[in-house]
Amino acid sequence: MSDKKKSLTVFRSDRHEDVAAIIASALIVVVVLTYMAFIVPSVGIKAPQDGKLVEIFVAEGAEVKKGDPLYSLEVVKKKWVNNVMEEKVAVESFTAKANGKVLKVSGKPGDAVKKGKQAIVVMEHEKGTLP
Amino acid sequence: MEDKGLFGKILAIVPGLAVMIGTLYVLRVYVEPWMKDAVVFGRKGWLVQVLSLNYILLSILTGMFYRNILFGGKIPAWAEEGFRTTRLFIKTGVIMLGSLYTFDKLLKVGGIAITLIVAFVFGTAIFILWLGKRLDADRSVTATMAAACGVCGVSAAVATAPGVRAKPVDLALSIATILGFGIMTMFVSPFVGKMLALSDYQFGAWVGTGILNSGQVLATCLAFNPNFAPGTAVAYGEIWNVVRVICIPFVVFFITAWYWKGEADAEHVSLGSILASKFPIFVLGFVGMTALSSLHILGAEGSETLHLMRDVMAWVFGVGLVGLGAYIDVREIRAAGGKPLRIGLIAGATKYVLALIIILAFIPKEGAF
Repeated sequence: MSDKKKSLTVFRSDRHEDVAAIIASALIVVVVLTYMAFIVPSVGIKAPQDGKLVEIFVAEGAEVKKGDPLYSLEVVKKKWVNNVMEEKVAVESFTAKANGKVLKVSGKPGDAVKKGKQAIVVMEHEKGTLP
Repeated sequence: MEDKGLFGKILAIVPGLAVMIGTLYVLRVYVEPWMKDAVVFGRKGWLVQVLSLNYILLSILTGMFYRNILFGGKIPAWAEEGFRTTRLFIKTGVIMLGSLYTFDKLLKVGGIAITLIVAFVFGTAIFILWLGKRLDADRSVTATMAAACGVCGVSAAVATAPGVRAKPVDLALSIATILGFGIMTMFVSPFVGKMLALSDYQFGAWVGTGILNSGQVLATCLAFNPNFAPGTAVAYGEIWNVVRVICIPFVVFFITAWYWKGEADAEHVSLGSILASKFPIFVLGFVGMTALSSLHILGAEGSETLHLMRDVMAWVFGVGLVGLGAYIDVREIRAAGGKPLRIGLIAGATKYVLALIIILAFIPKEGAF
């Protein structure tokens, strides 16, 4: 198609657009990883789904290692089993994804938490690690 | 168009891109939260829960509104270059979706995805070539429509058109027909999925097989389940989508070979040259992203790092989908008629329904991951 007005891309060809998309996604990955590993001073760890706080395993000021449990949550787990949706209440523990120090703990056992809303634990992580 | 130089070209992109990003910002930050709380028919969040009107579908609808109402049917010159970055955003988003998988997960569903996609892609192409002959349609129109309905609404039709000597109007009608069909299915599929209590796995497999445009597959999956995470509709749908996109050069070769076989001045076409010129290499970026995820370089599942990565991914897609909406010209779809429309609708509907029947019969509700 010689008519440039009809072209669906700002690039010289689809190939150029494909390469640009690969470069753009690589740049996004580099920026996100650099930001999280070296720039962000602390991260608020939020509940990954709605539930009720059962236990908080860490206190403010505590040093934690990657894999240490931070808190546990009572959640409703939904799973398809033999083509039937099975729902059961389960207690799940959530762990630290990087070494670091607990700066703040919000909430107490029994509190209802909403997915992605408030931070349950605020952590300062070791520089160069991905929280 | 005069040569503006690199700086001029980048500058020309800014106004349209600003409209796309600004639109998404308003939709995500103000409109969607308002809709989640709005009470309609006595039910809070009815617009989102029942109509599946999340920011993804709203992005497409707003893009359509810009093009067809606000801009009077044509993207104005000042915004045109910016809107032409649409596919860059969608391709970038598709590459980033590779981070939802590890290779072992891909292997678990890859076989089923490849079987279904190859059967449907070539099945549809062969069906259209037969239907075109029965309806006595022009061979160029039939070939373009076979590419459009078989594998991918826009890319395959554009790739096939020169090889089968399709007129620009045939190409435009094929694309309009298939995009129009895609828009209908985009709004209907989440209802059908919920009505039939499809699981994310079944829904992703169905939509990935039955819908023919990367943006529309994503939008439909996210309308069904708005989460970007392993095991969600979009994670399954995308595997099907990527397999389909990889099929493009093979289908282009198959249809071009069919076309020239029936022409007196036959031209030689080789699979090698078509693969070299048409293979969608952005798929390699998707595989690269899956490799990074398999090596746990992108952060642990459930980490705030992956959370941020997926949020950025949602913004990238959102911007692309505003642009996708702005490329839907209702007048073009309305103008599509006659044999191309009949062929497109019969083939599209058959594929869509048949894919649903096969998914219901053979794909279990339990996802592979």
